[in-house]
Amino acid sequence: MAAGPPPSAAQRYRPNAFVSLPAELDPDTYDASPEKRRAEAERLAIRARLKRQYQLQINNPNPPAVIENPALHRWVYARTHNVYPTFRPTPKTSFLGAVCAIGPLLFWMAVFKMDRDRKEKLIKEGKYERPFSVF
Amino acid sequence: SEMTKDMLPGPYPRTPEERAAAAKKYNMRVEDYQPYPDDGFGYGDYPMLPNKSHHERDPWYQWDQPDMRHNWGEPIHWDFDMYIRNRVDTSPTVVPWHIMRKHFLIFLSTMLIMFGLGEIYPSYRPVGPKQYPFNDLYLERGGDPSKEPPVVTHYEI
Repeated sequence: MAAGPPPSAAQRYRPNAFVSLPAELDPDTYDASPEKRRAEAERLAIRARLKRQYQLQINNPNPPAVIENPALHRWVYARTHNVYPTFRPTPKTSFLGAVCAIGPLLFWMAVFKMDRDRKEKLIKEGKYERPFSVF
Repeated sequence: SEMTKDMLPGPYPRTPEERAAAAKKYNMRVEDYQPYPDDGFGYGDYPMLPNKSHHERDPWYQWDQPDMRHNWGEPIHWDFDMYIRNRVDTSPTVVPWHIMRKHFLIFLSTMLIMFGLGEIYPSYRPVGPKQYPFNDLYLERGGDPSKEPPVVTHYEI
């Protein structure tokens, strides 16, 4: 039985964490059901309302000194002030904290200690050649 | 800023009313609003938006902020500063990622294996020790000029 035609480039494409699926290959774009259109209409309504607010502020004859973006304030607040109150020690966060914070500390402590011990042993045996000796 | 407490991000929403209020706060539809999973990582009720960089946003649309390709009031991605147009680009590639990765790994492993083999089994033209004139450079190497240097012949006739 023949293998059939080889897969086209569109069929071979697989999105992952680094590249996204283009709209042309996404079956969602070709779905024109009424629910999707209503969802799009609602999103457009939200966007239009926000645009209107922004345009009113921009085209104001006495514009305020700075037009603040509440979305930006919320983003900044979420990344800075809201992390500690919403943090919770769970098995996952404790494990990650141990690996990222305590792990490298212990690792480098061990590396330096072993290196120093090796050098000390060589010096005691007289085999170590001082690299920057002034003698 | 003069934003009230209920306009700022808060803890993870537990009830559907909290979810609806959070969606309204972030200017999103209730169906679109999806917070990060409550793993205790500190995200709170911040929405999880698709991980698409700003390279993919329409360059021809009239954004309120054209350099950021962002509209006023639109919910900002958690990793927004990573996805700006100077940084990470998640645009779809011409060649699928797994094929690129496969080709790169094949090339890299072939080159490394060949270099490794070349180190273990070196191959070069036959060589001999270097021959110096003037009796192996006797005077240049600090030999005594009053004494007779030891005779060194590098040839055979």
